Amino acid sequence: MKKIFALMMLALAMLTTACGGDDSSDDQLKVMLGSNVVSLDTAQATDLVSFEVIADCIDGLTQLDSEGRAVPAIAESFDVSSDGKIYTFHLRDAKWANGDDVTADDFVFAWRRHCQKAEEYSYMFGSTVACIKNADAVIKGGDPSTLGVKATDPKTLVVELDAPVSFFPSLMAFPTFYPINQKFYDALAEGTYGTSPDAYLSNGAFTLKTYMPGAANIQLEKNPSYWDAARVKLDGFSYQVVSSSDNALTAFKNKTLNVVEIRGNQVENVKNDPDLVKSLKIIPSGQLQYLSFNQDPKNHHAGALANANLRLAISNAIDRNSLVDNFIMNGSKATYTAIPLNFAPHAETGIYFADNQERYADWIGFDVDRAKKFLDAAKSELGKDTFELNMIYANDGGDTVIKVAQAIKSQVEENLPGVEINLQPMPKAEYLTNVTSNSYDVALTNWSPDYNDPMTFLTLWTTDGCEISEHWSNAAYDKLIADCTTGELAADYDGRWGAMYDAEKILLEQAVIAPLYTNARAMLISDNVNGIDFQATGIERVFKSAALK
Amino acid sequence: MSVLTLFVIIFVLFVLIRIMPGDPFPVERMTAEMIAQKRIELGLDKPLLEQFINYMSMLLSGSFGNGTSLYNGAPIKPILLACLENSFKIGVLAIAFGTTVGLTIGIIAALNRGTIIDGVCTIVSILGVCIPSYVFMIFLQYFFAYQIPFFPYFFDPSRFLFSSIMPSMSLSLLTISTVARFTRNELIEVMNSDYVKLAESKGIYGFELIRRHVLRNALIPVVTVIAPLVVDLLTGAMVMEKIYGVNGVGKLMVDAIAGEGIDYNYVLALSIVFSSLYIGIMLVLDILYGIIDPRIRLASKEG
Repeated sequence: MKKIFALMMLALAMLTTACGGDDSSDDQLKVMLGSNVVSLDTAQATDLVSFEVIADCIDGLTQLDSEGRAVPAIAESFDVSSDGKIYTFHLRDAKWANGDDVTADDFVFAWRRHCQKAEEYSYMFGSTVACIKNADAVIKGGDPSTLGVKATDPKTLVVELDAPVSFFPSLMAFPTFYPINQKFYDALAEGTYGTSPDAYLSNGAFTLKTYMPGAANIQLEKNPSYWDAARVKLDGFSYQVVSSSDNALTAFKNKTLNVVEIRGNQVENVKNDPDLVKSLKIIPSGQLQYLSFNQDPKNHHAGALANANLRLAISNAIDRNSLVDNFIMNGSKATYTAIPLNFAPHAETGIYFADNQERYADWIGFDVDRAKKFLDAAKSELGKDTFELNMIYANDGGDTVIKVAQAIKSQVEENLPGVEINLQPMPKAEYLTNVTSNSYDVALTNWSPDYNDPMTFLTLWTTDGCEISEHWSNAAYDKLIADCTTGELAADYDGRWGAMYDAEKILLEQAVIAPLYTNARAMLISDNVNGIDFQATGIERVFKSAALK
Repeated sequence: MSVLTLFVIIFVLFVLIRIMPGDPFPVERMTAEMIAQKRIELGLDKPLLEQFINYMSMLLSGSFGNGTSLYNGAPIKPILLACLENSFKIGVLAIAFGTTVGLTIGIIAALNRGTIIDGVCTIVSILGVCIPSYVFMIFLQYFFAYQIPFFPYFFDPSRFLFSSIMPSMSLSLLTISTVARFTRNELIEVMNSDYVKLAESKGIYGFELIRRHVLRNALIPVVTVIAPLVVDLLTGAMVMEKIYGVNGVGKLMVDAIAGEGIDYNYVLALSIVFSSLYIGIMLVLDILYGIIDPRIRLASKEG
């Protein structure tokens, strides 16, 4: 017994000595991540969190500046052929962290591999986005060497497209198009790329110091061999995965974290706190929250939503301002267009695509009388007086979506007598299964833009578009989209821009979806942190120029 | 027997996981055609029984180390081992802390039976059973990392010992109270026995009496409650590791189920680890009973 007691005392003494020097946490930037990194392999990453960490470590051909324009990164410059179908990138003398040169072959290798693996984001290479020659064939199992990308010499990368893509340079800043060092990759055991600091090679601002899949804590350190190392001011920083925003707020007050995201009521509380409000920053994002209507006539509620008037009625019965002011409260903005705010600026004028929110005011808005008229029309067309709709949503992303769903239910039921909405919250995996198996009426969902062009949204609603299928099909809409991506309008910037408005008009006239609001993120950033770039598409936060005072 | 139990468990889990709603892939940006292709690649299109046989043959051909994440193709083994190590260390700390504190409380209560001290100890141990451990975890984090910023708010692998104090303390709550209650009751029972009264009449009192004559006999039943508590720690760890941000098996399990897609292989591998641990502990316990207390061995022979 005495021995045990002595051991306990010894352990206690060890613990207390270990407590000394606890201030180390103050001189490092610590950033909250809302969820785990899914993968650091560009071919497998599917989420904003992964893209952000990948972009900390790897540079692509281009990068986006603070205004969202493409500026050189690994490519020092590039030429475009007159028909806009051949891009020639001239690479600078950049190095991987192990001393190898970053060559055009690294891009060729990574792109071929990505198409061959045919993971979720491989669609970015295909005919709806980058239009790289033969990409669709390779994704379907064709010969990867036929992909329209080649290295004519170690520093020159030539990319062949099937159609001119006006936003191609900014696309190259997206992690999907980042390079992988083939020699390094081939030396790794199968499947281990990107699963530990030793199995990941940077050519970017930071290198991994500690990481494992699912890591709650990720540490990065400055990459001294980064081509733009002069710009990087931090010696390193760390991420902490915190899924509860209450927890994150306390950790921020505690100075454990310097950058955190908060939600809902917390924003309101912070606004009333004179100390904290100074750190509050509202970051607009390009994420659209919307209602997706299942229009399959075979749907289990006899396809009532296949009726456009019923959809229009619901869309007009929702008070979007009340949603953002009373329930979301993080700076999100009510949206009356299918393309969200703060997103896709016109190349010359710089005006955002959805700048004019009144454009479709004839079909969408908050107007109870008009909503009732639509509902009456729907009732007489369908010969029914009551409609019972199941609304599904993923409830594991915080309580905001739960409140929004409840608010929509009460608004719709109050403004549209006879319409009843059953809320069906569920975990995300189950939600996705419901969506793919067609067992829902309305889905409360969102979409984040992958690239800075309205097409990242508009392709969702084509007949063969992926993600949630509304089971809506419209030949005129499909033709407009085809013209804009690979057809005659692809090379005509303004003509394409106008056609995209026409397509959006079809969507809203028929209320294929009911746009709700453009999400914003409320962040708390401590006073001693500056230089973080926030972007609406792709990589949301860039830490290359971040500094700690 | 244990092996058979394990086999049944694996089979039931395998079926249950497949029945569970959700898909291993994030389907948002994939067309139906791409998903079908992926299912074929991973063998998920085959009949359930065939999938099970394939899985078992993979398991037996070299431990589930051959398994890879369905989601990203990365081998499971190194990640699982790293997570197990973290959880194990914190778990051992929790058990060590829980049993020492629990024993101390139990002994104090038994020595002061019927007094106010006994009452306080009983209340403490009842509270320990009543308070859900996650409430206690958040409470600890709030008071000892925020109100009094002494401990680190999150678990920090670079300061393992120091930052694992709070996580392990929060896990040990149930152990403390269970051990304390058992120790107290057993001590009291033993102290009322004839041989202790004899020792007392010979002039051995207090701590010396407890140490030499009471504790050894009283500890036998206590050891038997500690073993199942070890397994309870695993369930506690699922919440604890999320709250404190520890890379452990509990967090791994939650992430594998509630992530973007359900990673069947991870869930299975982890379930197998959990159940073998449970079965293993039970087996050890059965053997231990006999070693600790010869009467049990004799009884079973006679029976």
